[in-house]
Amino acid sequence: MTISNAGQRGPSFLRTNRFVVALASIYGISWVFLAFAPRDRAAWVLENLLVVFFVGALVFTFRRFTFSNRSYFLIAVFLSLHAVGAHYTYAQTPFGEWLKEAFDLSRNHFDRIIHFSFGLLMAYPVREVLLRVAKLPRIVALWMAVAGVLAASTIFEIVEAIAAEAVSPGEGPRWLGGQGDVWDAQSDMVLAFIGAAAAMLLTWSRGIPSSRKTNGNRAAA
Amino acid sequence: MATEPLRRFQNRRFLHFLAAAYAVAWIVTAIRPIDRGDWFIENLLVFAAVPVLILTYRRLPLSDASYLLLAIFLALHAIGAHYTYAKVPIGDWMKEALAWDRNHFDRLVHCLFGLLLLVPVREVLMRTVRARGFWSYALPFTVIVSASGFFEIVEAIVAQIVSPELGTAYLGTQGDQWDAQKDMAVAVAGALCSIVLVAAIAALLGRKTPRR
Repeated sequence: MTISNAGQRGPSFLRTNRFVVALASIYGISWVFLAFAPRDRAAWVLENLLVVFFVGALVFTFRRFTFSNRSYFLIAVFLSLHAVGAHYTYAQTPFGEWLKEAFDLSRNHFDRIIHFSFGLLMAYPVREVLLRVAKLPRIVALWMAVAGVLAASTIFEIVEAIAAEAVSPGEGPRWLGGQGDVWDAQSDMVLAFIGAAAAMLLTWSRGIPSSRKTNGNRAAA
Repeated sequence: MATEPLRRFQNRRFLHFLAAAYAVAWIVTAIRPIDRGDWFIENLLVFAAVPVLILTYRRLPLSDASYLLLAIFLALHAIGAHYTYAKVPIGDWMKEALAWDRNHFDRLVHCLFGLLLLVPVREVLMRTVRARGFWSYALPFTVIVSASGFFEIVEAIVAQIVSPELGTAYLGTQGDQWDAQKDMAVAVAGALCSIVLVAAIAALLGRKTPRR
């Protein structure tokens, strides 16, 4: 999809967006590899519904709203981690199994790592949208990015509960996503919140200049 | 707007009535609550919110409509705090009449949190950061939903401090394993209803800013 966009834009696009093209290629290849023989195809499809919509939205809005390279990088890292989780149904991800063994944990915590990563990695792109599209003042954009991540996490937990009731009614949080933790939703949300707060604290403390000024390809176009 | 004249509290008759009515309701419900400890925990929110409203009045006096919605929400919360939510008479009556398995008064207040508070939050965002059009709905929606999520996180932490062994039996959840998700879902639904209503009213009146 990105390639066809590149074609319409001509060689200048490829030159200025080599990073994005490379990123999309790496992600595309790893996604395809992880789409082969997942532990549970139904769970894989469920996990990837969100990816299809999200990547579709990124591609569809690419020309109207081009994120900074830093944002695309963070989004790609998050989506790659999610692809790994989807391949192993999260609850059986090898890295999480290893953590469980090594630290004598009660459950596979790979999903918790991803909830934290969601906050840590996605707050920055959200802030970029808030700065460039909603034109929020910088301090407000930091706060609203944290709120945006927490709101998305909240809605995700609601949808997850509905899905859990649809897939295994009456089991409550004992289903796959909850792994038997009654406070699963709250733990997931607080990790996303901490991740987002950490990312915005880092962004604020480093005083990273607004992406409005540093977006190379927009200036070139 | 920045250009709006500062409305002095002395001239706002409606706010005098509102503040007096809420104060009376709060004092009446503060007398002999069912559980003083629970009443105190529930009122921590009030002790934080009301001073903020008073202290921000001079810099950002809100519309009568916003203060009315805030007062309705706070009054219902005062009733809930008096009866520890799980034992509010109207909720018990509805439980009997409609054969529900629990007292749903807390759910009602979670829904009203979204429904009532979207408007004041929207007004604040429109006036302070000049949220317009799509963002004048998306930003307050984000604030309301994230606040609901934040509340559930705090509730979980409080529940584990107060009674770690009780877990889901804690009075906030009344034994429902999806309690947090349902609370958040009704808040989201309330906020969405409010967005539709505000958009409809704005379209009918042909203006985008709530006026006093």
